[in-house]
Amino acid sequence: MADAGQLPTILVVDDNQDNTEIIRHYLEARGYPIIVAYDGEEALAAFETVRPSIVLLDVMMPGRDGWEVCRIMKQHPALGRAVRVIMVTALDEWEDKRQALQTGADDYVAKPFDLATLAATVERNAALLTAGA
Amino acid sequence: MSPVVLLTDSPDDTAAAAAALLDGWRVDVRAERELAPAAGDAADVGAVLVTTDNPNALRDVFERARARGIPVVVGCRNDAVRRRAVELRADEWFLLPATADEIAARVRSAVARRVPSGAALADRVGRVEYESMLYDFLTGLPTLPVMIERTRGLIKERGELIVLYLNFVRYSKIEEIYGWEKLDAVLETTASAVREFLAESTLSTSRVMVSARNDDDFVFFHVPPAGVAVATDAEITELVGRLEQFVAARIEAAHGEEIAALFDIYVGRAHVYYNPKMRLERLIYRGIREAANAAKGIEERERARKVADLRASLRDRAVYIDYHPIVVAGTREVFGYEALARGVMRSLRSPEVMFEVAAEADLIWELSRLCRSRAVEGMRTRLGPDELLFLNVDPHDFADPAFNEEFEGEVADPGRVVVEITERTAIKDYPKFRERLKAFRERGYRFAVDDAGSGYAGLGSIANLEPDFIKLDISLINCIDTNFIKQNLVETMVRFANDQGAMVIAEGVERAEEFETVKRLGVHLVQGFYLHRPEAHDGPGPAARVPGSEREPARAER
Repeated sequence: MADAGQLPTILVVDDNQDNTEIIRHYLEARGYPIIVAYDGEEALAAFETVRPSIVLLDVMMPGRDGWEVCRIMKQHPALGRAVRVIMVTALDEWEDKRQALQTGADDYVAKPFDLATLAATVERNAALLTAGA
Repeated sequence: MSPVVLLTDSPDDTAAAAAALLDGWRVDVRAERELAPAAGDAADVGAVLVTTDNPNALRDVFERARARGIPVVVGCRNDAVRRRAVELRADEWFLLPATADEIAARVRSAVARRVPSGAALADRVGRVEYESMLYDFLTGLPTLPVMIERTRGLIKERGELIVLYLNFVRYSKIEEIYGWEKLDAVLETTASAVREFLAESTLSTSRVMVSARNDDDFVFFHVPPAGVAVATDAEITELVGRLEQFVAARIEAAHGEEIAALFDIYVGRAHVYYNPKMRLERLIYRGIREAANAAKGIEERERARKVADLRASLRDRAVYIDYHPIVVAGTREVFGYEALARGVMRSLRSPEVMFEVAAEADLIWELSRLCRSRAVEGMRTRLGPDELLFLNVDPHDFADPAFNEEFEGEVADPGRVVVEITERTAIKDYPKFRERLKAFRERGYRFAVDDAGSGYAGLGSIANLEPDFIKLDISLINCIDTNFIKQNLVETMVRFANDQGAMVIAEGVERAEEFETVKRLGVHLVQGFYLHRPEAHDGPGPAARVPGSEREPARAER
């Protein structure tokens, strides 16, 4: 694969700028190319040009919520297959996880999260990318 | 200004024609091996159009073109190439053969993406959203509006069009039982098989286009080229028969026997004649509706035949039992068997079909009774002395008072019988339900709650049923090795079950990876295609052999 050996590009979507800065800093230090979007619209626009392999998607956002964005991304004809979407959610109940499955999400991180958990989650999804799932 | 170059390995005219359609472009054709170096070196390249099916050549082209920021458009000869193109993140891809118009459109689109533009945010977002509406993302097939646009000119020229409507009966059943991901996969297999079949068939010389509708049916548009007679009804019938067999074989190979048994296709056709007084879209949509109705008509006739088959089967007790092993995850020892009833008659081989027909003909009670009786009969000969029998009970039967007495006589040892009830049953009739459960428990029966985690009820409701076994919904197990949310849900279920003193059964385990994952998550018992070798189709055979278990069947497997 053209990108073998390189870490996958991650699109981080969150309306809270502090959150995005923290995440960006942390993951960039670990070598991941990071693109940031502050709402669903920006995320979808960036999705097309940037073609991230992983999307860290906040659920609670004004305008389009994370569920809708996830669904649109995963159903995209050319790009949906190649991307893994990780929902970032304050909701941790059984029902929320079922809903996540409905929209096609691959993984989730519960808020508030610690960065180590975040990194581990990103890593296990990145591992599935190179395995050519 | 020097012309912009469309660099390609495609020797045929369409690439050149496409370049001609693009303002100020010219085509530069290279041999397959030379395309990648050219992508690296040639001047003024606006885009690369690659049509090779050689994976190494494809990858090389991408590497060179990407390094220079040149967009890559892939013309895919087959599904393997299409998948590769998506993985390599092609700027655009399309399926061969394609018209010059389509190629030009794809190149334009690929180029627009690459150029940093002042395009309004809304445009970008709109495009992302609408992409999935024009082309079905699963199959790559165009949706109806696109198909109509493409065939417009042809229909006007030839004056007529045949619409074939492919109704895949029971695909909704697949989705109901196995979840949307499984149906997605089956649709992909179907589309791929249909495309392949058509390429080899007599219709391939005419313009046939396949469109995926928004549900799970397919529509063909068949416009024969000038000078060739429109295919006769007999020819189409014959072709459809072969198509059905071809696709069924593919589905069985890719998804197993259970799912293939749910594959059934009815094809209806309609003739649409061009009439300049009327809007073409309306003519076509009416044609599609007519074809769909014709398909429905066939379905209805088939159903009448199946009801007759069912009555005969009931009369002759022509039902046999497939015993699907349920094994201990750690040791692979057989713990018990789930009884799955099948009609001896081929048309009723699938239990889903058999029960569906029974429901319509109001014969559910008789059929259920026969199936249970057969299942229990087999306990003596087919099960070891300590192995449990898992028996499905229809929600309606559970409400039937006669049901209690029936069991009384037939089951020698209730302690070895586990009654499977779907979690959905309980919701309708809650307090009464618990009463019945109590009555059964007092006689020694145990209970398994089926479809657990499917989303109809929360964990609380399951707890209230005090099950001895919890069977996870099949859709949770499908591809659990690559979905962490499913893993999380199953983990939660296992913890919950351990608290309740119940055992968790993972059903629908088809691959080694799924097996290893559920085992790791602490699931106690496992069932599925991975562990069950189907028995011979013409009737009951020796008990299924479980790979890796110690217990050998009494007779050699056929």
